[in-house]
This record gives sequence, structure tokens and C-alpha cells, in this order.
Amino acid sequence: MKVWDRFVRVAHWSLAACVLAAWITAEVKLKSAEPLHEWLGYAALAVIALRFAWGWSGPRYARFGQFVAAPSRVLAYAKAVLRGGEPRYVGHNPLGGWMIVALLSTAALASLSGWLSITDRFWGAEWVQETHEVLGNALIVLVALHVAGVLYTSWRQRENLAAAMLSGVKRPPEPGDVA
Amino acid sequence: MTTTGLFRGLCAAAACTLMAGGAQATGFATCDSGPREGWQAQDKLAAMLKDKGWQVRRIKEDGGCYEVYALDDKGQRMEVYFHPRTFAPVPYGAKDHKG
Repeated sequence: MKVWDRFVRVAHWSLAACVLAAWITAEVKLKSAEPLHEWLGYAALAVIALRFAWGWSGPRYARFGQFVAAPSRVLAYAKAVLRGGEPRYVGHNPLGGWMIVALLSTAALASLSGWLSITDRFWGAEWVQETHEVLGNALIVLVALHVAGVLYTSWRQRENLAAAMLSGVKRPPEPGDVA
Repeated sequence: MTTTGLFRGLCAAAACTLMAGGAQATGFATCDSGPREGWQAQDKLAAMLKDKGWQVRRIKEDGGCYEVYALDDKGQRMEVYFHPRTFAPVPYGAKDHKG
């Protein structure tokens, strides 16, 4: 069945590409890579803004209301994962849903702080540069956890979730699954 | 490996990544500037640039050079490296610039 609509998939891979390329253009420590790094930040902000809008107006599985779970449900799911008895979610599971929120927010704040650091007002301001660096590093950590979560859940459910983000198609719900 | 073990491993890896980021230098250039006793004062560099009509925002040490953030006399944002002994401008990408 179709779970991830075209916009969600394009937004996902565009943002992933922006983050990866922004990381590389920062780590090469070349002045010539800076303009590209800046434009990647603007592009990321545009994608994130559209994704947030889609999260309120898009189809069922794109909506924040569908996948942002209450803390009690997140805790119950996390406990079930540790026991090895978590149910399969057709959309995002409760931990994955919060990871989406964390990734989008951190990427947005990292982009905004980077933008701020090249305004005349905050040019050279140490706290802005430090904030940008910490957010950038935090984003890389979140991406690593996100990929680990995707790999783990793919293995547990015998379903390639990365491929599902390309095709949009997932196995239909079976008894016991959360649709 | 248990799930809890995997989780602990991931947390340790995450903590390492966060800390490693803070330890590295910006490193757009490096200067062969020797011991600090022979360096000129940052204030002197700031005064020199101010005389040129620059608005100096910050001077810090980076790779043995002085890294300056400033707005130049035309209001352009500048990030420039100077050799701490000679105050000669250091081009981006320079390795162990002699000054």
C-alpha cells in the first residue's frame, strides 16, 4: 500500500542531500566551499518550511497529528522495543515520529543560526558561531540515530524502510499492526 | 549484543561525535609564527585596521595566525588571517605561512 506520498519522499531525500552536502562543505575547511554551504542552508530551510506546512495539510501519513505520539505512548513503545515485543507501525512508530520532529527542528535551527552568523549584525559573534557548530554536530548525531533506528526497525519487521522511502510503498497492515 | 548494549553503544558514539566537533581548529590557514613572546599584540592589529576604516568585530588565534572578523571601509564582511609577528595578510589555504 502507498504510505509515503511524493512530496514526503522528495522532501526527505532533498533534506538528506542538503544535510550531507552541508556537512561535507563544512568539514573540508575551504573558503571556496562556503558559498555552497550557505546556499545548502537556505535550501534546507525552504524544504523544512514546506514539510511543516505539509505536516498540517498533507495526506494521512504525512501529518504530524498522525505520528507525533503522547509521551506515555512513546515510553510504552520504547519499553516494548527493549523487550523485543514492539508492534509494527505502517506510518512512523512513536519513537520515529519524534525523531522526525527533532531532525526537522534541529536542521531548521542549525540553518537559522548559520544564516545569523553571516549577517552584518552578528558577523564574528562567537556565541552565534558556537551555537551553529553545536547544532550542526547535534544534527549529525540525530541523523546517525535516525539511520540506526531505520536499520533496526527494518531488520525487526523484515521490511526495507529506506526502500519504502524511495517507492512510498509498504506492506499492508496485518493483525496486531498499527495502521 | 543486547538491545540495551546497542543503545549504550549508540549513546557513547553520539557523545564522542559531539565532543570531537568542539576540539578541532577552523583551520583556513596556518602560520609559522614561533613562540608567542615574539607576537605583536592583538590590540595593535585592531588599531591598524581601525585606521584603515575597518570596524573590527573579533580577533582570535587560529592555526598560529590572527583571524579577524571585521566590516571593511565599504561595509563588506571580512574574515582575514594575519601573521602575528609581521601583520602580513595570510592567504586562505596557506600552510605554515612565514609572514
